[in-house]
Amino acid sequence: MAGRDPLLPNAWIVARREYRDRVRSPLFLASTVVLMGLAMLVAIAPIGIRYFDRQTITRLAVVSDDPDLAVRATAVADSVLNQRPDGADPASWEKPYVVEASEDRAAAEGALSAGEVAGVMIVQRLTSGQVDVTLRANESAGSARAQLLGLAAFSIGILDWTSRQPSGGAVDPFIPAAFRVEALNTATEAGRPLDAQETASRAFLGIIFVVLLFITVVIYGMWVATGVASEKSSRVMELMISAASPRQMLTGKVVGIGAAGLSQYVAIAVPTLILIAFQDRIAEAVLGPSWAEGAPIVGLSPSLLAGYGVFFLLGFVLFALIYAAMGAFVSRPDDLQTLSLPLSLVATIGYLTAIVALGGGQGLWVTVASFLPPFSPFVMLARLMVSAIEPWQVLLSIGILLASIAVVAVAASRMYAAGVLLYGQRPGVRAFIAAARKA
Amino acid sequence: MSLEIDHVTKRFGTTTALDGLAFDVARGEVFGFLGANGAGKTTTMRICLGILRADAGEIRWEGRPTGELPRRTWGYLPEERGLYPRMGVLDQLVYYGSLYGETPDRARREAVAWLTRFQIPDYAGRRAEELSKGNQQKVQFIAAVLHGPEVLLMDEPFTGLDPVNLVLLREAFMELRDRGRTLIFSTHQMEMAEAMCESVAIVDHGRLVAGGRMRDLKRASGRRSVRLALDGDPVPTWLVDLSGVESLRPGAGGSELELMPGTDPAAILSAVLARGATVTRFEVVEPSLEALFMEHVGRPADDEAIVAPDVAIPALDARGAA
Repeated sequence: MAGRDPLLPNAWIVARREYRDRVRSPLFLASTVVLMGLAMLVAIAPIGIRYFDRQTITRLAVVSDDPDLAVRATAVADSVLNQRPDGADPASWEKPYVVEASEDRAAAEGALSAGEVAGVMIVQRLTSGQVDVTLRANESAGSARAQLLGLAAFSIGILDWTSRQPSGGAVDPFIPAAFRVEALNTATEAGRPLDAQETASRAFLGIIFVVLLFITVVIYGMWVATGVASEKSSRVMELMISAASPRQMLTGKVVGIGAAGLSQYVAIAVPTLILIAFQDRIAEAVLGPSWAEGAPIVGLSPSLLAGYGVFFLLGFVLFALIYAAMGAFVSRPDDLQTLSLPLSLVATIGYLTAIVALGGGQGLWVTVASFLPPFSPFVMLARLMVSAIEPWQVLLSIGILLASIAVVAVAASRMYAAGVLLYGQRPGVRAFIAAARKA
Repeated sequence: MSLEIDHVTKRFGTTTALDGLAFDVARGEVFGFLGANGAGKTTTMRICLGILRADAGEIRWEGRPTGELPRRTWGYLPEERGLYPRMGVLDQLVYYGSLYGETPDRARREAVAWLTRFQIPDYAGRRAEELSKGNQQKVQFIAAVLHGPEVLLMDEPFTGLDPVNLVLLREAFMELRDRGRTLIFSTHQMEMAEAMCESVAIVDHGRLVAGGRMRDLKRASGRRSVRLALDGDPVPTWLVDLSGVESLRPGAGGSELELMPGTDPAAILSAVLARGATVTRFEVVEPSLEALFMEHVGRPADDEAIVAPDVAIPALDARGAA
C-alpha cells in the first residue's frame, strides 16, 4: 500500500485540517492568552524578586597576610564598589556591597563555596614590592564587578606604594599592582569563559527553555494522542482509512498539530522574549538606576537559539509519534489519562535531569541522559546552555535522536495502522502487537 | 468478470475469518454480499481496500491486484459511521474529496449537487453533530461517491434510514449503476438485497455457500412458495398445519407459504379448497432471498433483528412459532 501512496499531498491535506481545527477553536485562543500571560509573568519575575530583595547586599572578603594592606585594600574596594549613582537619594540609598577583611583565608574560601560571599580578594605584597591581587569568584575577568575591582587593585597599589616611601629619601620605582581573576565556573562561549551575568542569564533562559520544551511535549503530545483517539471513538477513522494511508494520516496529524502548537508557542514566546530583552530597562524604570543590571538575555547567542530550535523540534516529533501510537491503542479519549501517565513520567525524568544539569550537575547520569532519547532533548539542551560542550557531543546527540525518531516513526506507523484495524475494540497488548505485525 | 475474489484466506490468530473465499462480481452490477455477523464480509472489504493483507489468494479488479490500484478506484461506506462532529458538512466533503485527489472546486461542486439531490442543501454549512443520524449517513454516502469511484463498497448502507431516505438511496444506487459503477453492499435486510441486486454471494464462516445471479439461485433451489388469500380469513394460521408447508408469513395482500422441497403447489390448493375455504388469490412464487439464505446458512442473517421499515412481520414455522 505504501508504494501506491506517496506522502504528499494527503499528509499535507490532513495537516492543514488538523491545524485549522485546532487554531480556530475557542479553547485554543483562550489557552493561548492565558499561557501568554503566565509566561510574561514569569519573564518579569526576576524584577519582582529584585524589588523584594532591594536590601540584599553582596559581600566580598579581603584576605591579606599584611594587616595594613588588608585595611587599605578593604577601604579602596569599598569606595570603588559603593559609589552612589547619580540621582540616587543619599538618605535612602544603601551600599550594595559589604567589603570585609578576613584574617583566615581558609574560612573566606569556605564562605565562597557556601555562597555566603560573592568573592574573595586575596591581596599580597610580593618580594619585589609589587602588590598582587587575585579575585576568586564565580565570574570572569570581563564582568563589570571584576573590572571595578581591577581598578581598585590599581588604587591599592598606588596607596601601598605611597605609604611605604621613606620621608626625604630616594623614591622606589612604582610597579602597578597585578590583578587577575580566578573564575570558578566552567561555562564558555567559543572558548571564552562566560562572566557571571552571562552565566546567570543562561541558567535563567535554560530553565525557561526546558520548561517550555516540557510543556510543549506533554501538552501538544496529548493533543496528538487525543486527536487520534477521538477519530477512533467517533468512527471517523473508518472513513479516513479508505481515503488516506495510516502513514499519511500519522504524518499529517503530527505536522498539523505540531504546527498549531508552534503557533501557540510563538504567540507566547515572542512577547515573553521581548520582555526579557528589555528587563534591564523595565527594572531601571521600576526600581531605579542602581538596579538595572543588564538584560538577562545577554548569554543568548544564535548558535544557542539554533540548538534550542533543533532540540525543540526533534523532541516534539519524537514524543508526538509516541503519543500518536498511544492514541491509536485506546478506544476512547478517556483511557488516555491512564495510559499517558508513564510517558509523562518519562518526560518528567528528562525535565528534572535537565534542571539538575542547569544547576551545574555533571554526574554520569546527566552525561548519559544527554545522549539518550527521549531524555536527550531536555538534558543536552540544558548542558548546552550552562556548560562547555564539544560540538561533536551535540552532533552525536542529534544523530542518535534522529535515528531514534526514524525507528519510532516506523513503529508508531504500524501501531497506528493496528489501532485502525482494531478500532471500536478494547484491544489487549497481544492483539495489538499481532495487528501491528499484520498492518 | 471485473472484481475477482480469488480463493482468499485470512486468519486472525487461531480464527479463520476467510477460508478460501471465491466469487466474481461483474462490472456495472449491483451486488449483494450477504452473511451473518462474523461471516467475513468486512474483512473481505478491507482486503479489497488494501487495509488488510490476505494470507493466501488475491483480489483483482479488471485483472490487476487491488494493491496496484489507485486509492480513488474505491469508494467505501463503512458499517461504523462517523464524521468530524464539529466540522461543517461541506468542508468535510471537500476534505474527503481532496484526499481522493479531487480539486477543492470540483469537490465542492459535486458535494453541493449530491446534497441537493439528497434534499439537504441547507445543511452544507452546518456542523455534522447538528444533523440527524439519517442525514449524517447520507453525508457519509456522499463522501464515499464524491470522487466517482469505479467500485463502491458499502457495509450495511441501509441501517438507520427511514423509508423516505431508503428510497433516495436506492435511486442513487440505480443511477450509479446506470453510470457504469459497480456497487457491492452487505446487508442483513434481505428484502433490500432482493429488490436491488442482480447477483449475490452468501458467505458463512468465511466460505461461499451460494453465489451467482439471483434468478439462477432461485431456480436452482428446490424450494417453492405460494401466495394465498382467503375470503373472510385475513390471517389463516391453520394453513401452516397443511402437509408440505414449512412456514407461513401473513401479509396484507395474502399469506406466503414456504413449501417443503418436492411439495406440489397444486396439492396445497386442493387441500385448502377441501377445507371449504374460498380462495381469492393463488400464486406460485419463487423462494425469497431470505429463504435461500436460511436454506444455505441455516439461520437468519441477523439474530439481532435489524428490521427493514417495510418488512416487519415475522414468519411462522410449521409449529406456529414466530
